[in-house]
Amino acid sequence: MTNLLITEITRMGPAFCVIGLRRNKEKVQSIRPVPTWVNGWLHFPYQRGEVLDCSLAPICGAPPHVEDRALTREFRRSATIGESDTVAYLRKAECGDSLQSLFECSVYENKRGSGAYALPAEARRSICGCHTQNLRLELCGKELRAILVLSSGELLRDLPVVDRDWLDFVDAALAKNRGANQAARFERFLNSQFHCKIMNCPHHFVRIGLTRPYRDVCWLMLDTLFPLPHTEWLEEF
Amino acid sequence: MARRAIRSSKGEDSFRRIVETCFRSEAGPSVPLPSDTEDLIETGALDSMAWVSFLRAVETASGFSDLGSDLNEQPASIASILAALRSPNKGSLPSRETKKGAAENVSSSAALLTGSSSVHGSRVVPSEEVDRAFGMPVGKLRKRAGIESLAYAGEGESELTLGAKAAEEALRAASCGAQELDWIIATSETHHDYPALAAKLHSRLLVRENCGAMDVGGACLGLPNVLAVAQSLIGSGAARSVAVVTADVHSRVLTPERVAGEFGGLFGDGASAFLLRRQGEASAGSSYRLGELLFGCAGQYAAAIQVAARICGGLDVQFDGEALSRAAITRLEKVITAVETRSGIPRASVGGFATHQPNPRLLTLLAKQCGVSSDAFPPICRTSGNLGSSMCGAALHAVLQSEVRNKADRRKPIFLASLGPGLLFGGGWLTPA
Repeated sequence: MTNLLITEITRMGPAFCVIGLRRNKEKVQSIRPVPTWVNGWLHFPYQRGEVLDCSLAPICGAPPHVEDRALTREFRRSATIGESDTVAYLRKAECGDSLQSLFECSVYENKRGSGAYALPAEARRSICGCHTQNLRLELCGKELRAILVLSSGELLRDLPVVDRDWLDFVDAALAKNRGANQAARFERFLNSQFHCKIMNCPHHFVRIGLTRPYRDVCWLMLDTLFPLPHTEWLEEF
Repeated sequence: MARRAIRSSKGEDSFRRIVETCFRSEAGPSVPLPSDTEDLIETGALDSMAWVSFLRAVETASGFSDLGSDLNEQPASIASILAALRSPNKGSLPSRETKKGAAENVSSSAALLTGSSSVHGSRVVPSEEVDRAFGMPVGKLRKRAGIESLAYAGEGESELTLGAKAAEEALRAASCGAQELDWIIATSETHHDYPALAAKLHSRLLVRENCGAMDVGGACLGLPNVLAVAQSLIGSGAARSVAVVTADVHSRVLTPERVAGEFGGLFGDGASAFLLRRQGEASAGSSYRLGELLFGCAGQYAAAIQVAARICGGLDVQFDGEALSRAAITRLEKVITAVETRSGIPRASVGGFATHQPNPRLLTLLAKQCGVSSDAFPPICRTSGNLGSSMCGAALHAVLQSEVRNKADRRKPIFLASLGPGLLFGGGWLTPA
């Protein structure tokens, strides 16, 4: 039996990808529970910060997704902890302060357009936390993208944001029933209040993940952004 | 100011050309172009990752940096992109009113490059001697970097003397008197004293007292930076004649006592100068028209090269040669691609590439990566070393010299591309006037 603290719930097309933390002796380790037949969950009724009891079996996941474990028994919620405590655990898990240390490999820029990727054969893991000197979100052609500066001063641009809660927040912000100019109003929020709320939050933290290999590369994504959005922020714009 | 569709003399819609070029680059050359109104994401022509990548490529190639934001309430289609590019409602940069998506488009305030010069340190030192001075195995610079010799400043030579000599030669080449200058704009990555280099050049060249003097940074990106300032001054009507000068004496800064040979051994000393004049102030003759310049900063490579002065007088140098080499090649190729797309000038038809030259080995690699002959890159760094902010200028002068030997109607465009720590990047193009 494993106690898994759920830290990541990301949207991957129609499915969700989930990552949690488990204590392994003195270490805190990221684990990605997956159903035995696919890589994602079509239905995942849990929240981040919830501790789920589960049984996991090692599987031979394609590198660099070494965190994959097959779920052999249904989840059962056993406890819930707050956002700042969740982040405290995340800080004890895999962390990097430079591009090279994120996945213990080189990170390459897309020669054609935007985005950054790692090579599956080089990356040693597929998820990593990091501190950021600065972070900004923007809508680009209706897609949410992040730009952030790592502690090393290195910059990551145009990371797709796949954090479920943040994407739900964007959907709510752009809902038709919110009146006119939703995108422009949301952009104003991102350019003003958002920055204060995120960067001034004492438990501000991000986790960056790698996609499954696609055309021989794994793209970097913003898996998780703490603090999570609050519904009442929608009233501010 | 309004954005407007730009048509070249061939009647080609340059925005459409840019959009189609970027789409093919993203989706692959064999993928048929979708119809204008097709939603590229809904039909699966591009996934969301490729859609944003495509938009960014269009932004870079067109110079419209807020395109992605414009499309937040529009379908993901080529028609939406073209409409946003042509939209008269958005504010735009002054240069966009006179944007030359095609190189043939000319405004009355275009800047012409009418004279150029480049000088190198007079003391030519074999690279083996530099290997020894830095305590490296003899032959390392030649074998690893392809550097045969380095041009070091001789006794009595400095940024000021080298820069002044280059400037005087450029003025002479353009038959322009120093008193005609409205501005001197200088850049150097080794001159950190005050009075600044431009002020010293002001006195040395005996220009009018009311000629402005300004120093611009950017290290190895210095030349594109000073050209951009000069172009803006001329384009705005604030100046008619501007001298831009680069000058670097690395041999007195990057010494064996201060830095490792793998870094310091690569650099030589030199200067370059160019005279830019407003069209109409100078006869076209053998001059070149300065096209658009594009700039940016690829911060993901910021850690590859960092140099900071220590309080005690030393230098803290962080130099990840492998990472920097990879970044330099990738980014220079990307700049050349952006210049090619924006100008509409195929790289195969360019007379020469005036690029930053970190070392000869990387220059060969860059030519290969770009799919062009290495002969199109004047091999300055092989005999002079990396000249820092003067590297691009020395290369540009060499390409110009080579081109003016041709008959006027045979002269070809020139591409400019450079990098600086950060990783700053910039590029542009010049066409025969």
